[in-house]
Order: sequence, then structure tokens, then C-alpha cells
Amino acid sequence: MKPAPFDYVAPRTVEEACQLLSEAGGGATVLAGGQTLMPLLALRMSQPFIIVDINRIAALQGVSKVSGGTRIGPVTRQNDALVDPTLKQALPVLVTALSHVGHHQTRNRGTIGGSIALGEPAAEMPATAVALGAKIEARSVRGVRSIAAEDLYLGPYMTTLEPDELVTGIDYPEWPAGTTPVFREVARRPGDFALIGLVGALGVEDGRITRAGLGWFGMGATPIKARQAEQALLGQSVSGIDVQAIAELAVADTAPFDDHHASADYRQRVGKRVFARALAEALDIRQAA
Amino acid sequence: MSEHRINVEVNGRQQHATIEGRLTLGDFLRVNCGYTGVHLGCEHGVCGACTVIVDGKAVRSCLMLAVQADGAKITTVEGLASPDGALHPVQQAMRDEHALQCGFCTPGVVMTLAALTQDGARPSSETLLDAMSGHICRCTGYQGIRRAARKLAGENS
Amino acid sequence: MSAPGTGAARYIGQRVPRKEDARLLTGRGQFVDDVAVPGMLHIAFARSPIARGRIVSIDTSAARDLPGVHAVFTYEDIKDQQADFLSFYLAPIEVRVTPLADGRVAHVGDPVALVVAQDRYVAEDAVSLIEVAYEEEDPVVTLDDARNNPSIHPDAESNIAADMGDEDIDDNLQALLDNAPHLITHKVIHQRISQSPMETRGVVAVPEGPEELTVYITCQSPHAVARWLSLVLGMPQGSIRVIAKDVGGSFGLKNHPWREETSAILAARKLGRPIKWIEDRLENLTAANQAREQEMTLRVAFDAEAKLVASHGDYSVNNGAYPLGADANIAVHMFIWPAYKMPAYSFLSRGWYTNTIGLAAYRGPWAMESLARETALDAAARKIGVDPIEIRRRNLISLKDQPATSGLGVYVDDITPAECLEKLLQNFDVAAFRAEQAAARKEGRYLGLGIATYIEPTGAAGSISVMTGELAQLRIEPTGKVTAMMSTHSQGHGTQTTMAQVIADRLGVPYDDVTVFEGDSSRGGYTPGAAGSRQGVIGGGAAIKASELLADKVKRLAAHLLNANTESIRIEAGMVHVEGAPEMSRTLRSIAETAYGEPDKLPQDFEAGLEAQYRYTPPPVTFTSAAHACVVEVDIDTGFVKIQRWISSEDCGTVIHPAVVEGQIAGGLAQAIGTVLLEEMSFDDRGNPTAATYKDYMLPAISDVPTFEFLHANTPSKSVGGIRGVGEGGAIIGPPTLVNAIADALSQFGELPVDLPLTPSKLLDFIEGRPVRKPKEAKRAPPTPASPPPSAPQPAAAAAPSATAVSADGDWAMTIHSQMGAQEMKARFSTEGGRLTGKLMSDQGDQEFEGRAAGDTVAWEMKVTKPVSLTLKYDLKIEGDKLSGKVKMGIFGTSKVTGERL
Repeated sequence: MKPAPFDYVAPRTVEEACQLLSEAGGGATVLAGGQTLMPLLALRMSQPFIIVDINRIAALQGVSKVSGGTRIGPVTRQNDALVDPTLKQALPVLVTALSHVGHHQTRNRGTIGGSIALGEPAAEMPATAVALGAKIEARSVRGVRSIAAEDLYLGPYMTTLEPDELVTGIDYPEWPAGTTPVFREVARRPGDFALIGLVGALGVEDGRITRAGLGWFGMGATPIKARQAEQALLGQSVSGIDVQAIAELAVADTAPFDDHHASADYRQRVGKRVFARALAEALDIRQAA
Repeated sequence: MSEHRINVEVNGRQQHATIEGRLTLGDFLRVNCGYTGVHLGCEHGVCGACTVIVDGKAVRSCLMLAVQADGAKITTVEGLASPDGALHPVQQAMRDEHALQCGFCTPGVVMTLAALTQDGARPSSETLLDAMSGHICRCTGYQGIRRAARKLAGENS
Repeated sequence: MSAPGTGAARYIGQRVPRKEDARLLTGRGQFVDDVAVPGMLHIAFARSPIARGRIVSIDTSAARDLPGVHAVFTYEDIKDQQADFLSFYLAPIEVRVTPLADGRVAHVGDPVALVVAQDRYVAEDAVSLIEVAYEEEDPVVTLDDARNNPSIHPDAESNIAADMGDEDIDDNLQALLDNAPHLITHKVIHQRISQSPMETRGVVAVPEGPEELTVYITCQSPHAVARWLSLVLGMPQGSIRVIAKDVGGSFGLKNHPWREETSAILAARKLGRPIKWIEDRLENLTAANQAREQEMTLRVAFDAEAKLVASHGDYSVNNGAYPLGADANIAVHMFIWPAYKMPAYSFLSRGWYTNTIGLAAYRGPWAMESLARETALDAAARKIGVDPIEIRRRNLISLKDQPATSGLGVYVDDITPAECLEKLLQNFDVAAFRAEQAAARKEGRYLGLGIATYIEPTGAAGSISVMTGELAQLRIEPTGKVTAMMSTHSQGHGTQTTMAQVIADRLGVPYDDVTVFEGDSSRGGYTPGAAGSRQGVIGGGAAIKASELLADKVKRLAAHLLNANTESIRIEAGMVHVEGAPEMSRTLRSIAETAYGEPDKLPQDFEAGLEAQYRYTPPPVTFTSAAHACVVEVDIDTGFVKIQRWISSEDCGTVIHPAVVEGQIAGGLAQAIGTVLLEEMSFDDRGNPTAATYKDYMLPAISDVPTFEFLHANTPSKSVGGIRGVGEGGAIIGPPTLVNAIADALSQFGELPVDLPLTPSKLLDFIEGRPVRKPKEAKRAPPTPASPPPSAPQPAAAAAPSATAVSADGDWAMTIHSQMGAQEMKARFSTEGGRLTGKLMSDQGDQEFEGRAAGDTVAWEMKVTKPVSLTLKYDLKIEGDKLSGKVKMGIFGTSKVTGERL
């Protein structure tokens, strides 16, 4: 289990990195935290010609408040984000989700952007971006564009990012204070990829749902937005919500498959329960507050 | 394939080397530097045996390229005990609590606990035990590791 | 427990700091990958991506041309060197095994070629350049596939790798089963397990000229490896030195080398260079021999009072393609009932070849007996309507019932499972738990209690030739410090610590003054190593006996030097005292200096120096007993199991080091938790392993394992020191304890099928009334096979006596190829028409027989009384001056017979 040969470059600027990716013509792979890429290299499942290491690009790190929301630099380490006061205040559900990503030791290297750009369907960060309505800033020598997270994912480890594009920022919209976080993960052991994961946020005003962003992970080939459930929730009075019916709608948007760890049937069956429990608890907590 | 000159401080000593880009940090520490206490148990980031401290943080040395460590300060399990041979408090707690059997996963466990308790930090036992979920031990059933973690958190075991 | 004349026991029973820990905690252990030898090269293997097929061609040219590559070998390149593979018992392997594949591959991961290169990176680069063309065939993957398809091996008649017991159930037993008031039929499916020591396999082979070889290898006994290599490679044993200082766990995997280690050694000898092969985790999970994958159907009949009446077991185990010795696992049947009052038991046991990775041992290889029995007892208790504790109380053998001998001849006279159970119940309030369980049920929470009891054979020696005693060689050095060279070997067992404790106690020296060396075949003597929970029992006994011999020597010398009676000499804390004369006290060092350096002062006939050795052979088997209890909560919405409490009540006799004993039990229990809830090595229809990384092969993490509570009983065994083995127990008793707890929690949903692992998916299917396992169609052979496998016997035209019958008459040299090794004998046949008379002559004695002769076949039956009473059924065919055939040896299965006319 040793990586195949590759050239390694560690650019200091985004421009330099984009230039390298452009020149590589699809033969380069971006190395961020490496906590998923390194095993793929060791197993020789990934054999790039060039590794473009973006860890030395200072501009890609850190969390900042921006107008309309919060921006996370893609190379921000997961453990740094976990204790970031801005995030804790602005996106508490993101922080909760982060605490389930891998293990302490992998979070010390693993990055938010790396996880989002890789697109493991059972991982927490892609689904969180989808649920919260994040936008992914992708840059290349051809220019910069912004991709809605839900448009980013095509399948396991497949995204709409072009080979010459680099993720340069993740922009999370503002979720006002008092937003109700929703998070549940069913995993065999701590740090494992989810059998079933649910993440998102609900905005409630005057007893009515005013905003809903809910996403699944581990429930299909990509992170999945629970669109039907979101639609059904909007405008509803909290006291009148039929939790089971919403859960049914939420699961209707999933498309899980059988794997070594659980059957598709298990994921949908339990997913519905997990959704219903999570929703009921989230709203009860909200009502009590 | 590219070659790179790196300069890394390992256990207080500067290590200069010219290496291939693909060399993992784990292999660099074991083969180039001779710190064979860094154990490669799975080389895909699950078992935790290869954990070392890089710039103050516990990381898997199998999941980092050696070239990425250029300029970094690294501590391996060989760098913990005092020069006079006195065990580091984590090592002593592990020994007192019989937290090891075959000793293969042990250096990784020690390094995570050492990273979290460095500079006098006293995290809760929950924090330490949560971090222990990143280490696989096939021998002990984790009984002694749990006791050692609680002891380091200041709890009576 | 102290020997007269030395200080009272101060170290035995104490949680002293382990001797091993200082080096292991500081990263200064020496595992095999830590060994570097000047000029050392590295190996990577090219492996088969298909489970079964013919190798059409191998092109290694591109690999050879890669800079940094020293050699690329296929089987053709190394076949000139001897490699006659042997089992753990040093018996020939039943099917042909070659270090690298010879023309055919039989499982995914089968080594096809090897690259020797400057480092592992380049070696792997070169592997990717090797091109192999295969003609793929349909693989035989599951036990059902094996039963329904022709042999996967050209040189085996069928996929039955080994069989024991009887296909036909004895009429009396059948009647007992049929007529009993209660009969339960209980099926257990056990998944395949990867032993997963944290240190994978590995070897550094260092040829030192053509006649010497040093082998660093991660193993369970350097002595056993040296013996195995000597026989397999045909080298004099004295020319092979095997070193294994620290071993990162084994659990049965590293009993002896196998194909890759052997290939590496052959490559090193061929090139005359030191070579290292370190198995990576991908190889470990997809090419190292694995364990379990068994099915057992146990029928148990009870009378109206829930007392045992009779039982029958039908057991199958997947041997894979190249097991480390074909195995039908007779120990499952030997040890299933001796702790219970079971009047009648019989069985059928079979091992099956498939196109999967071969079978190896795993902690408690016979553990299925406890899993099947203890889960069957709970199922029976529920069916009959008695308490699971009560059903055990009525049927367990307690001390007052002993001695007792089981139907299969297992004699017990000091087992205490019933007593362990009572002790357990004194420390666990069952009534309070049942109340809590009922209250929780009302809240929709499902709690369960599992209890299991068992005995474990440990410290076996003397009944199988490779299972020998252990050797202790002790010296009191001229410095007064003690050096011990032990045949014991730690893969985490801490034998440097426990043996030092024993020696310090029995010699009367400080623990710190004793150093134990092990892990080198040039020190100590032969032992099979850490196999069968034997080191404490046998190594401990050897250490005690050698210490006593040495203490006697010290006393004799001291008495002479100090002009005192030998009886009045006492050794304590490294000082030699004369009773009642404190002024005469001397340090051990001063006595030792005289012993070594002043021969004139020694008594007459006194051998200079202070050295002693003892090889201890204990009673044939020493039993450890235990009862465990476990409490779980099952989330019926998700099928997740949370273990809330676990209590172990065990009796392992003298406890040398409580933390070591508890560590062994806890480690076994963690593996049990993995077995029941997490670990699963499975294959798809094409024989591809589905768990190739630790993301998919899930080992228990700290959060999966609760804090265990321990109760120790200490009934001394009959071995020297009173020690009982404890290495495997947790992995044996753990699975049924946990399964019983889950089944108890979910009893309202019906009888939980025991189909491991009990994943959340499976448990939820059970809770919600769906079939737990989707029935899988066994792949069947086409109805009319195109051609019989090459080795299949041609249909004999000899149904009627042939006119040109070959005469069997005369003397024959005959060999029985049994699993325990080859047995040589002489046979004399005399035929008259269809009647055969004859005589078998061996060093065990002569025995006459009568039987039948027809055409070129002879057949007869004869009764023997050793090792147990059984009837041997011979069935042989004569071809000119050769004979071949088989002998059915009752419960010990069928063995091949060959012979030549004398």
C-alpha cells in the first residue's frame, strides 16, 4: 500500500494553483487535508500525475463573517472550525455535524473544503452544505463561478467541478439566531461513515416554519436535499405538523443502496424514524424555548 | 516523479532529506529517520497506530506526505520520555493502568493522549475517550486505555 | 503457595509493572518491520484478481526492466527449491500447495508472482507492470456451493477437506431424540473472521551463505517456526535461527509461516540477499488466512424436567482453498458437553474446500461448541418455560458430580462452571434486573440479560506430538542477578513479566533482579508457542521446577560454604540466610561468585556455576471454567445494541498477575463483541472479498466495549503451580453471553436466529418479522459435467470380480496419512476367494483382522482401543505393487492410505 509515483507541487497562491491545474489538463489531483485522498493513493485507486497541495495557500484558510452569511476557506481544518466562535454562533448545526466527521486525529488535518469537494455521499460536510444552501466558489484560469451545493454532486466522488477548477470558498447563507438545528447520524461506530444521516435547520417565526433546509447523507449516491419535506414544512404551524407524514416525504427523496453495512430497506425504514424523531425533538425544543 | 529537499524537526533534531513526493510521513519517520516506534498498522487512516504530533497536533502519519512536513516540528513516541529515561506522564499512566499488551497500537494511543494533555492541558475524560475512538487495539479490550485516559483527566480510576 | 526455604509469595498474584512496557511505551520494541539488515531488499506480490482459473501466461518483462527491481519470480523460477508445506501438526497438506501459484489460481489474492526491489514503493510499481492472462472459471464460494459442486482442487476427490463423525445417526440416539418430551433444533451461522493482529504478517529472511539462515518473523513461537522451516525447506534445523522479539498480536494467524513467508525465504536464498516482506493491511484482509465461517445445527433433547437426554451436532466449516491443514474441528464435539450431564451425543463434522482464502486458527478455534450449546440452552429454556439459570443448574456438572467422563472420553475432575455461576449470581441481582427489565419494557425499552457457562481446555501437552511441554533455563549470574531463557513467547501475553514473577517468588529474589529472554529459537527449546492457552500453565510450571532446582543448588552450596544444614538455608530478597544465625547472611552475589570463580571451595561433585533447566510436561489437559453475564439494551427502532454491563466470573486457578489475566479475558471479550456485532469477512458471488479495509472490516473501538467486572475463583489445578490457562476464554464465552442477552431482550418477537454478526439490519428485520437472511441460491454444477475432474476415479468396471484380479497376497509397507501426521505400518494380506485375512504390524503392536476381497479391492474392519475405542474401516485398491485407498476412523474422519509391496 504505497502510492504510485507522482509529481508534487505546493503553490503559495490561488493563481499559481489554478495555473498548475490548467496546465495539468486533467492529470492533477488537489490535495487538501488528505484524509480521504491519502488512502486512495495508498491503495492506488487514485494515480494522479501531479498532486497540487493547497495547504500552503494562506488565503484558503479561515472562517469569516461576510455580508449575507459566513464564508469558510476550503483549507480550514475541521478541528479548527469545530472551536471557531463565529461558526458556533452562526452555524451551530455545522459545528455539531463536524464533531461527527472522522476522528480527532483526522480532523486535525481534514478540511471542510476537501470533504465538500470529494463528495463522499455518506459524509457530513457535503450534506450540510446542501441542506443549508451553501454556495461553492470555484476558480480556474478561465474565471470564477459559484455553484449551489445541491448542484455540485453527480454521484459518489463525482462532482460538477471541472478538472481545472479549485474550490476557493464555501459560502453559507445566514440562518438567523434562533434557527432550530436538526442533526442525527446513525453509524456503526463513532467516526464511521453514516448508515443514515440527517442534517439541516428550520427557521420558525410566530409558531410557523418560515425556512427549511434539510439534507440526507448515506441515503443515496449523493448528499440529498429533502425537498418534498422542506416544501411541506414551509408555512406550516409547528403545532399542526404531522411528523410522520413529513418523514414519509423526506424518505421519498432518498435513493439508498445495499452495501456491506446495511440494506437500502434498512436505511429507508430507519431513516423515516430518525427523521420523525429528529423533527419532533427539534420542534419541541423550539416550542419550549 | 519529483524529488524534494525537506527540513523537518523530529524529536528536537533537524532532519534534512531529499525525498520523493509520494513518500508518506510514516515511512519517512520510520525508514529515513529511524523512529520505528511509528507503527504502520493499516496505512489507510483507520487504526491510529502511526499517530504522531505535528506542530502540536495528533495526526495520522500515514495520511500525510513527508514533503508536507517541511518546516514542521514533529514528536514521535521516541521523543516523549525524559533524557534520563523517566517516562512521560502519559506513558506512566499507561504502564500503571496496564493499558497495553502487544504494544503495537500503543505508540499511537500515547501520542494522541500526549497531544491532548500537552502544556498542562487537562481535558475531560469525555474528550480523551472520544479521541480514543480513533485508535484500534486488538489486544486489551480498551480497559486499561480507558483507565489511563480517566487518570490523565484527573479522575480517580 | 511458596516452596519451603524461600520467601513467601510476594510477586505471584500482584499487579507488578510489566517488564515489556518500558520498551513498548517508548517506541523501542522490535517488531519485524523494525528490523533492518544491510543490503536488505523488499518484496511485493502480484496476486490473482479472480477466484478460480487457469493461468494462461505471465509476462514479467516490463516489471524486470523497471529501475530498482532486482528480480521477478514466478513459480517456475523458484520451483527448484524444496517447499513441502506442512500443517501445524507437521502433517503433509492434503492438497498440493506451492509458494506461488503453479498454473492455477484458487482464490482472489492467490500469490502469482513476486517482485524483489530496492524498496516497497518500487516493488509495488513493478507489480503493477506484471501482466497475467487468466482463463476464469466459476468459483465455489460458500459452504453450499462446496456441497453442490465438484472438487475445486485437481488433486482432491471432492470438496470435503476433512470429515469426522458419522453420517448415519445411531438408532438409539435417534430414538432418544425422537421420544424426548422436548427437542430443539438450533442452527447457528458464524461469519468469517479476520484475526487482524495490529501487526500484520511479515518476515526478514537473511541467508548467511549457503548453509545458514536467520529469519526474523512475526510468529507465535520461533521454535515452532524453526522446526517447520527445517522440515518444509529440507534444511538442517541447526542452520536456521528464528528471531521474534516483539510480536504485535497473532490470535492464531501466525501459528506457522505460509506461502508468502516461504516465498520470501526462497527468494532470499535464491538471490543470496536479505529480503523483507511486510504484509500490508490490504493483503492482510484479502490474502492472509482467516477463520471461523461455520454452520452448526445442534439438536438437543430434554426430559420433562428440562434435563438433558441426548444431542446431535452437524457442523460444517469453510476451509477455503489452502487451509493451514484441512480441518473438520473435532474439538467442537469433544468439548461441547463435558461440563454438562449429557447422556448421549453424536455428530457429523466436515470441512469444505472453496475458492476463498484458506482457514487458519482464531482464538478458541473450537468456540462454536460454547456458542451453539449456550444459545441452544437459552432457546430451550424459553421453549420449555424454565429460567435460563435454572436449566443450567439442573444440567451442569458441579464438583460433587466429579470425576466424570463425557461420551467422547473427556475426563473432568476439577471443573467449576456451576460454582462460577453461583458466584456470579451472588454478585448480580437477577431479580432486581428482571424488575428493571419489566419496567423498561413498559417504556418501550428493551433490556436483556445473557448468561453463559463453559469450560475451556488449556495447557494441553503430551497427547499430540507437536504439543510438547515448555522449557525453562535459569542462571544466577555471577552478579547475583537471574537470567531466564524461556520457551514461552509473548504476542502481548506479557510472559516476560509473569515468568519473572514466578521465578522471583520461587527463587527468593527481587522481581527486578530477574530478566526473561524469549523469542529466539537459539535460546530455550522447542515449544508450539502460544497455542491453546498454554504458556501460563506449562511455562509457569517449568519456571517453578527450574527455580526449585536452582534454589536447591544455592542451598547446597551455601550450606557447604557456611557450614550449616541445607534445611536451615533460606533465600529471600536476593540474600541467603541461615536460620537462627543472622550474622551468617550472604548476598546471592557472593555465593554466585564463588560458584563460578572458586572451584576449590565447592562441595565435591558440585557442578560449577548456578544454572538449572527443566522441561515441564503438565497433565494432558487443564480446564478453566467460567460463567459470564451481560446486560444489553436493544433499540428496536434502529436495531442497535448497547452493552450496559458485563461480569466475568472465572476460575483460572493460581492467578500470577491479575492485570494480565483480566487483560486476556477483556481482549477476548472485545473480540467476542466484534464477532457478535461488527466483524464480517464476506465474499461476493465471484469470490471477491467485500471488506478490504478497516472501514469495511469493523473492529470494535473503545466505544463498543464496556468496562468489564471481574470475579476470580482460584481452584488450583493439578499442574505445578496450580495455574490454569486463560488466553482464549473471553473469545469463547463472550459470543454466547452477548447473543443470549440480545435474544432475551427481543424474546417477545420470537426466537432470534443466531446468524452472526447480528447487525442492526438483521436485528431490525427480525424485530419487524422479515426474514433475517435472504436465501441465497447455491451455485450448482451443471447437471451433466463436461468431463470429470482429472483426479476423479474412473467408474470401476470391477463391480464383479474381475477375471484378471490382482493378488493382494503378501506383505506391504503401508502409510496412513492422518491429520496428525503419517503413521507407518506393515500389512500382511492373504486372500481365498472373497475372504481376506491379514495382520497389521506397527510399533504400537500387531493386530489381526478378517475382511473381504473382490477383484482388485480389499476391505476390512477392525476395532482399536487407543486413543479411544473406535472401529476402523479400511477400503483399499491394489494396482500392481501399489495400493491406495482410505480408512474411516470413526469420529476422527477419513484418512488416505498408500502402500507398496515389500
